[in-house]
Amino acid sequence: MSVRDLKGKRGWLAFAGCFAWFAFTLFPLYWVAITSFKTPPDVVGGPTYLPFIDFQPSLNAWRDLFSGVRGEFYSNFWSSAIVAVSSAVFATLLGTMAAYALVRFPFRVRLVSGLVFFAVAMGGFLLGRDVLDFPPATASIIAFCVALALSVLVNRFNLPGKVMNNDDIVFWFVSQRLFPPIVVAFALFLLYSEMGKMGLKMTDTYGGLTLAYIAFSLPIVVWLMRDFIAALPLEVEEAALVDNVPQWRIFFGIVLPMARPGLIATFVITLAFTWNEFLFALFLTNSEWQTLPVLIAGQNSQRGDEWWAISAAALVAIIPMIVIAGLLGRLMRSGLLSGAVK
Amino acid sequence: MATISLNRVTKSYGDIQVIPPMDLEIEDGEFVVLVGPSGCGKSTTLRMIAGLETVSTGALSIGDREVTTLRPGLRNCAMVFQSYALYPHMSVRDNIGYGMKVRGVPKADAAAAIENAARILNLTDYLDRKPAALSGGQRQRVAIGRAIVRDPDVFLFDEPLSNLDAKLRVEMRVEIKQLHRRLKTTMVYVTHDQVEAMTMADRVVVLRDGVVEQAADPITLYEKPANAFVAEFIGAPSMNMLEGHIAQRGDGLCFTGPQGLEFDIPAARVAALAPLAGQACLLGIRPEHTNEAEGGIGVAVDVDDIEPLGPHTLVVGHVGSRKFTGQARADTATRPGSRVTIQFDPDKLHFFRASDGAAVR
Ligand SMILES: Nc1ncnc2c1ncn2[C@@H]1O[C@H](COP(=O)(O)OP(=O)(O)O)[C@@H](O)[C@H]1O
Ligand SMILES: [Mg+2]
Repeated sequence: MSVRDLKGKRGWLAFAGCFAWFAFTLFPLYWVAITSFKTPPDVVGGPTYLPFIDFQPSLNAWRDLFSGVRGEFYSNFWSSAIVAVSSAVFATLLGTMAAYALVRFPFRVRLVSGLVFFAVAMGGFLLGRDVLDFPPATASIIAFCVALALSVLVNRFNLPGKVMNNDDIVFWFVSQRLFPPIVVAFALFLLYSEMGKMGLKMTDTYGGLTLAYIAFSLPIVVWLMRDFIAALPLEVEEAALVDNVPQWRIFFGIVLPMARPGLIATFVITLAFTWNEFLFALFLTNSEWQTLPVLIAGQNSQRGDEWWAISAAALVAIIPMIVIAGLLGRLMRSGLLSGAVK
Repeated sequence: MATISLNRVTKSYGDIQVIPPMDLEIEDGEFVVLVGPSGCGKSTTLRMIAGLETVSTGALSIGDREVTTLRPGLRNCAMVFQSYALYPHMSVRDNIGYGMKVRGVPKADAAAAIENAARILNLTDYLDRKPAALSGGQRQRVAIGRAIVRDPDVFLFDEPLSNLDAKLRVEMRVEIKQLHRRLKTTMVYVTHDQVEAMTMADRVVVLRDGVVEQAADPITLYEKPANAFVAEFIGAPSMNMLEGHIAQRGDGLCFTGPQGLEFDIPAARVAALAPLAGQACLLGIRPEHTNEAEGGIGVAVDVDDIEPLGPHTLVVGHVGSRKFTGQARADTATRPGSRVTIQFDPDKLHFFRASDGAAVR
């Protein structure tokens, strides 16, 4: 049954209900849009709703925005765009590779080797910093590498204890997102500033913010793409295997195109996160690579309640996502697999 | 072109052995069909030959190469799957040519190979379509085209016709046989359909629970099944089996069965069947060697159903607890619920030892 089947009064009721909800959800957007065209007296002098009737629209706020009176707007926009798009692309690509591996190849990780990693990484760090007097960043990098090598080695031996499989690995991935982001952001800030002391500048750089975004997006990408890839027909890949197509070409030439709707959906979800992200950007950047959300949030405290200006800036942050969702939404249509099997 | 040889090959999933040690020699240019009920290990065997499943123990060679642990791509096999397994985002042309493109075959050679395959398979008009815009039969032809241009040592088919409707299945059967005559490449073909097996194969390998029950040409399989399983599996409708007993009578032998069935075994078979004297055995009667008539040697059948086929009518019923199908004239007046006598030809009977089902002849 669909709304179209409703006749007469009930049809109208349903329509009215839907319209009311539509208006309710769209009103804030409308409000931001008209506010950005108001002059300051129109904003502070009580509510006005209709341009040309209630108030005379003006382009002042927009002119201010683009002329750079209110901070390095262009610079922030491009920082945002570059970091958001590139980290979403990398995260989607890397996460899809991980998801593919997790769907197609069985992994076995011994609990013991996980514990070895944890113990050696923590112990090695403390040992390096407190006993051997390394700088913290050096100590943690060395400890991490040693721990990784040791745990991989330990995993090769037939030791007792629980053996974890692909599902456990996926859960481990997703569990990264169970931390409050503020904890991660704070830890990352400390790590980055320590790395800065080693001469590797990470705070307020493209690499630093992008890496953080990639790391924080990966769990969701892996989680989403795993289901998309699991739904792909295995025989198609087997046919290619028998035809002596190398594994990497199977992935790029066959799996990725077949998973296109899922890839695009995942990319858009990831982009929405990286474009809108505020907390990491606040901690990890200050001038050079500051992003739009930080700039917009800062408007209020820097210049007071200049809602017309804030509205214009907010619209600039919203519009690219609407455009991208509109463009890519077409490509997300399913039915791409038809004809492969059956 | 190549021989295939399986030497004590086994396959286990965990503790479960689905293929006990299997020996099988397939000759160069032979069309071998693996047939058996679903779940008997046909696909597993084929996939081990292709390299898509690892061999648990034993050795496998294709031609004079030992390939037991070689990865699938290097075995020079081409495989056609039940589900077509086409690349959905590529046109028919690209589907057929993808392997060649990856292998770096020169463009002109690839185009010629694609044209040639398309001509053989009647796909010339569809080369620019996507698989989604093709019918099931055309899709399977594309999959076969992809296999042909590989110019493989061995073709492997895993139930390639099972997704097609009956009419198309018969047409494609003929096409695949023609393809084999034309290419003379070794082909291994898996099916659960014994009609497909009988009509296509040079040699049929009947599998049960991973064990080769019999490997022989179709006529031998039909006329001289090695055991009761093969006898029942090959032929449609399948062979009737009656439990009974063979006893010495004078110089000859006599069979005693259910419903008072009792007859003298023809003199020509007495010597061969002598070892069965005094033992329980299974009597096998093919429906096509029976007819509905009084007198002669016959068995009383309780009729459950009548299946008119046109040329003749099948009488489907039971003798005691055993199912029994007999053949009757097209205009038979027999109706379900009655009991009729079905006569059979004593020279065309099969006898199997009750203990292990082995044929005695
Ligand atoms: N991945 C697997 N894990 C465990 N058992 C399997 C697996 N694949 C197949 N089997 C078992 O092996 C047997 C043979 O399967 P298969 O070769 O597919 O049969 P078929 O003759 O129908 O093609 C079946 O009993 C099936 O349950
Ligand atoms: Mg199968």
